[in-house]
Amino acid sequence: MNVLDQAIGWTLLHSLWEGAAAALALAIVLGVTRSSRIRYAAACVAMLAVLAGFGVTFYRLRPRHDGGRMIVRILPSAVNFTADDGPVAMTHTWDATDLLPWLAPLWMAGVLLFQLRCLASWIGAARLRRIGVCGAPDAWFERLDALRLRLRMTRSVALLESCFAEVPAVIGHLRPVILVPVGLLAGLPAGQVEAILLHELAHIRRGDYLVNLMQTVVEGLLFYHPAVWWISTVIRAERENCCDDLVVATSGDAHEYATALAALAENRWTMREPALAATGGNLVKRIRRLLAQPEGPRTAIAPVLSAGILIVTCAVALVAWQTPQRSAPAIVPVIPVTPAPAVEAFEQTQVTPMARPIAPTRMVGLKAQPEALEQLRDLMQKLEIKRGVSRFMLALAQDNPSAQANPAPWPYQKWLDEVSYIITDAERKAFKSLVTNDEREMFIQQFWARRDPAYPQTTAPEEYPTIPKGNPENAYKKEFYRRIAYVNDRFADKKVAGWKTDRGRIYIQYGPPNEIDSHPSGGKYERPAEEGGGQTVTYPFEQWRYRQIDGIGANVIFEFVDKARTGEYKLTTDPAEKDMMKQQLRMVEKQLAALPAQMKLLESQLEIVNSQKEIEKLEQSMRALLASQAPIEQAQKQLEELEKHLQVLENPGAVFLSTGPGEKAVVVVGPDKAVLVTIPIDYDATRISTTVTSSEGKTVGTMGAPLTDPCEGKPADSGCRNNYTKTFPLPPLPPGSYVMTTVVTDSNTWTEKTYVVNFTVN
Amino acid sequence: MSSENPPRPTDAELEILTVLWSRGPTTVREVHETIAGRRPTQYTTVLKQLQVMAEKGLVKRDENQRAHIYEAARPREWTQRQLAGDILQRAFNGSARSLMVGALSSRKASKQELAELRALLDEYERKTR
Repeated sequence: MNVLDQAIGWTLLHSLWEGAAAALALAIVLGVTRSSRIRYAAACVAMLAVLAGFGVTFYRLRPRHDGGRMIVRILPSAVNFTADDGPVAMTHTWDATDLLPWLAPLWMAGVLLFQLRCLASWIGAARLRRIGVCGAPDAWFERLDALRLRLRMTRSVALLESCFAEVPAVIGHLRPVILVPVGLLAGLPAGQVEAILLHELAHIRRGDYLVNLMQTVVEGLLFYHPAVWWISTVIRAERENCCDDLVVATSGDAHEYATALAALAENRWTMREPALAATGGNLVKRIRRLLAQPEGPRTAIAPVLSAGILIVTCAVALVAWQTPQRSAPAIVPVIPVTPAPAVEAFEQTQVTPMARPIAPTRMVGLKAQPEALEQLRDLMQKLEIKRGVSRFMLALAQDNPSAQANPAPWPYQKWLDEVSYIITDAERKAFKSLVTNDEREMFIQQFWARRDPAYPQTTAPEEYPTIPKGNPENAYKKEFYRRIAYVNDRFADKKVAGWKTDRGRIYIQYGPPNEIDSHPSGGKYERPAEEGGGQTVTYPFEQWRYRQIDGIGANVIFEFVDKARTGEYKLTTDPAEKDMMKQQLRMVEKQLAALPAQMKLLESQLEIVNSQKEIEKLEQSMRALLASQAPIEQAQKQLEELEKHLQVLENPGAVFLSTGPGEKAVVVVGPDKAVLVTIPIDYDATRISTTVTSSEGKTVGTMGAPLTDPCEGKPADSGCRNNYTKTFPLPPLPPGSYVMTTVVTDSNTWTEKTYVVNFTVN
Repeated sequence: MSSENPPRPTDAELEILTVLWSRGPTTVREVHETIAGRRPTQYTTVLKQLQVMAEKGLVKRDENQRAHIYEAARPREWTQRQLAGDILQRAFNGSARSLMVGALSSRKASKQELAELRALLDEYERKTR
């Protein structure tokens, strides 16, 4: 028998109990701790221990050159064996030692096979990152970079889409690549993709690919040992758990991540393959762990049991083999068995995770917003630089003549504007093509004449009537100018002429409506069923009903909403436009949804802007975006306040009082329940207190409450306004007149400001 | 386009197909930009390749616009099935799985497992509400 075969054979046999011991030690550690990092470290140590045990055993049993003759230190030859236990041994028809000569060649063949397989895997992995892949869209690279920074990784990582990968995976250690199946980036919600990418980055940060490669090699060496396979399974499972923990610690949203994993498992971007056995997946366990739910049966029991059985049988076998060899005490191998180093190393690894603080859990919710804002401010800085460059260029090119003077306004523009609602496109075109003012005067006369009900209608538009002078009794023209005068009187505000407003336009076009439903101060509104039902608070709005409009139909309703409360009502076709609550919600949703696209646009504009004017414009749009983001949270708060407002309004017989547009406070009182005070003020207030006294001077109720600054922590240019709204409960008020005195404490000057409102309860 | 099945794509063609699957219908320029992001390549090479692929029936060309737009003729799953017939490809890809580390194991989850997952998530959601 070859001495080398013998040494290998014995080493293999010894490694059986060594492995079992290591597995048992590991099982104990697993039973004690729940920390995935410790469990992972322990499993790795156990694996290394089995390998080390194998190496040390082989080293001690190795063939030695001893005076030119090769001997093996343990040589339990069959002759020796039978000589001691003669009759017993003779009866043995089968003995483990009989197998010994076969062990080494079998093992070597197995190792060869497994290492070949490992090689094939390696080549396959290298192929996967080369063939059937393409770079992910740039946007995802940027996101990956952001995620990388969050994990404090300096290594660059490539992100490739592969048509072969079924699940996202990491390949390579020195130049790591994340492979994702084609279609996954676009197919899953961005938040979930980010969670998955975080997981893959965690693998890269931990160097898992290399560990896995070495693990596969060791598996190939010790392939015959069930304990090694079990340890390997533990390493794989705990590795995922470690990464899961890292993802949750970084993103802060375990549920989203669990959902992402489930979605991945559900629609694997798969190619056809033989259906695998349904059991054995540990995904359910992982997700249970992520959602921190109590586990099913404890994992450690089964391996402890099996390891125990294994160790007992191995011990028995060992004793059986060793007893005959009493005569040669030197040959009992004293093998430094695994548990001792395992425990030592385990204690070291246990310290490390404690010392390193885990990344703080982040707020979930509008978390995308702050990042985007950060990015936006960054862009604004870049713009500032570009502005400097542009100024310089401008200074160089100073001699160039600057903007031309505005051309003088065209005298007939006013007329064209006035009739803009009634003039046809053909007429407008014809008018603009006229050259002399005489022609234009003529055209205007004809224009009115054609609309004069007293004048016979022509069929062809080209045949202009040839009345030399306009008909002063033209009813159409008179009515038209009456309407202009009317709307200019009624609907004008500071900025806009009455005929330019929406109400003005409708009035000029269709005349006075048959019915006007006016809600000049908004307030409570019962949503009709087709608008979703329920109650809400509305902006001021008007509904105009026309019984009949030629060319449109019967019973036409126009709705105008004054969202800005400037008095300029805007025409709307959307019944939700006046609905304050829906609008607030919509605004928040819209702004959040539009943010990424807007950022992208601004970024691309930054690339191309050059002139001062363009830069000015871009800066304005950036500032506008910044300002539009700030009030989102405020809007949410307002929404809540509106709900409260609604409750107050629901009280029958509520008195709605306003101290007028020039004054400060608005008070709403429900006779039996509550009083609502709205005080739009432009200073910071800390406290508000309100006293209601009856006309006899008796105090009916006193309410006080501290105020929180709605603009706290917002930049000064964010457009945030202090607008405090407070609801106070009030005892039922008998009819009579009351005085409400509201005192607001200014937090800057620490002075008190008083608002007095008189109101009556009927 | 011919109704018969296109031939199995070469590795270079597969790369272009992957871009098309990833980005959807795309101009030559965009395909070139994506590929050039990973390795130097000429625009004309990509254009030529796409023309050849169009002849083979691997891609469809939309000539309605000034810049021709290419689109994969077959869905990714179809080509994957076609390629899965390649023993070598399959052996390598199959064995590569044991080396890759990733969010999911190479094992497929069973129907029962998926149902259990759903239930878990639903239950969690209900609890947190």
